[in-house]
Amino acid sequence: MAAPNLVRLIYRNVRVNTDPASLLILLGLPAMYLVFFGYGFGSFAAAAGSSGGYISFLAPGMMAFQAVMAGTVGGSMVWADRRWGMLAQLLVGPFTRAEYLFGIMLTSLLFGLGGAAVMLVLAILLLGAATVPLGGGLAIFGAIALGSIFFGSLMLFISAHVKSNTAYNSIQVLILFLVNFASTVFYPFSTKLPYALQVLFVINPLTYIADTARNGYHGALTVTNGYEMIVLAAETVVLLVLATRAYLRSDVSLE
Amino acid sequence: MLSPGRIPSGEPIISAEGIRHSYDGRRFALDDVSFTVAQGEVFGLLGRNGAGKSTLIKAMTTLIQPTSGKLRILGHDPRREGRKIRDRIGVVQQGESFEFASVETNLDLYGFLWGVPRAERKQRVETLIERFGLGEFRRRRSFDISGGQKRRVQVAREFMHDMDILFLDEPTLGLDVLMRRVLLDSIRAEVQRGLTVVFTTHNLEEADYLCDRIAVIEEGRILALDTVENLKRLYSGKKTIDLTVSPTEAGRFFPALVAAFGATASIKTNGNAAVLLVEDPKAALATIVDLSQRLGIHLEWLTIRQNTLEDVFLRSISPQGGSNGGA
Repeated sequence: MAAPNLVRLIYRNVRVNTDPASLLILLGLPAMYLVFFGYGFGSFAAAAGSSGGYISFLAPGMMAFQAVMAGTVGGSMVWADRRWGMLAQLLVGPFTRAEYLFGIMLTSLLFGLGGAAVMLVLAILLLGAATVPLGGGLAIFGAIALGSIFFGSLMLFISAHVKSNTAYNSIQVLILFLVNFASTVFYPFSTKLPYALQVLFVINPLTYIADTARNGYHGALTVTNGYEMIVLAAETVVLLVLATRAYLRSDVSLE
Repeated sequence: MLSPGRIPSGEPIISAEGIRHSYDGRRFALDDVSFTVAQGEVFGLLGRNGAGKSTLIKAMTTLIQPTSGKLRILGHDPRREGRKIRDRIGVVQQGESFEFASVETNLDLYGFLWGVPRAERKQRVETLIERFGLGEFRRRRSFDISGGQKRRVQVAREFMHDMDILFLDEPTLGLDVLMRRVLLDSIRAEVQRGLTVVFTTHNLEEADYLCDRIAVIEEGRILALDTVENLKRLYSGKKTIDLTVSPTEAGRFFPALVAAFGATASIKTNGNAAVLLVEDPKAALATIVDLSQRLGIHLEWLTIRQNTLEDVFLRSISPQGGSNGGA
């Protein structure tokens, strides 16, 4: 018996996105951040008297970062499928637009959670045995799951509007830079930052994901993390609706 | 291949009645299009670029909803039962469509998407690689092969799954002569097994070779629709005369030619060439030779031949129809 349509689409999405080059970007980049930044900036942090080591700060940040990477995978898949004709081909096959969309979102989720698991294993290898409490682990993966859908929706929204490869890649790189470096992924929030940057940090959903992942990882979840997740969930729902509308109205092909 | 009994016997597998479609609300890409296609038929849509062929294919494959009119595919309404239709059709679209993967993975993955079991997929991949000559580049990524090779993969891929109707939108675009024949013969073999084919092309030889019936489409309207033989017979008993004169003499000779034949022949001119459709080729030849001698015109080329589908097509889409005038 054939697998359900959604499963077939997810399998297809995973298979065409797990070539060595894609995996290197998806997992290799955050892994390199963790190793190079972890050890490189770790020496600064140690000199400044920080306890716990920078790698243990950065590792949950890299898990959170997987939500953004997963989002870019989703957006890129939609864009490539429009550009290279596969979206139109799938939609004259046994699939509906809704199934295709769910397939993309669930694939993003899978990549986000899978990538976070790889980062967790890498962190354990670098830091020795980790003692992530069960609640913390669930919070980490819950935050990353929500984040994957949020960033997947953001990239879907963009891919539904952009028609050129150069424009899509430029926007993606800009978003990646802004979202990553104006968040608590690499460094903690500080009131000593310029005010505009402070605002960017606070409104950036990746800050919520990184904070929750970090506190979950260290077994120090707070009520604020709960509020952050509620805000993130609300933002995700709004963005998902907007992205779905944009996708449904977009041309299936860029020809 | 075909699922007998799904469509009541004698009912068309495709029926279109007064189909209209506009992309911008101002101009109709399809305008009052009506036709039917029977089970096991090869139905050709013949027309120039932008005539509306691809729009019609998109409507029939549920990719767009016609603005108005009644369309039924396999007994289903595309507006409400698109899924039921798509489950039973195959579509080779005009544009490229590929996965970022090797040729054989493209085939296998497509079969998987259609729910074809693994063992059957493996067998079909090998059969199609053999039939469409893909072996040489089966492990190369689709983006690293030539345009003609891509087209072969795209057409072969559609045979990874079973279907009742196959829609082919310019399937031979970019194929060499040999592969074009392989493709057309493959389609013919599938038709003998009961497949219905809707085929768009602007290659008249292909249409003649493959199609049972042809609709000539121009500016979204069907101008002629019949069997290939009947279309040719529209000009039954008539013969075509091709003639060429020197470019400097064409301006003097052709108006005199049109005046000499009056309503007894259809004349199309293009530069220094003219095509005449006549009932009595012998008398027409005498008139042409006599006229050329009287005017001192040297005839560079003069032949009589049977009507071809190309003659039918050109006369159908010409604004002057069958009357005299420049083409």
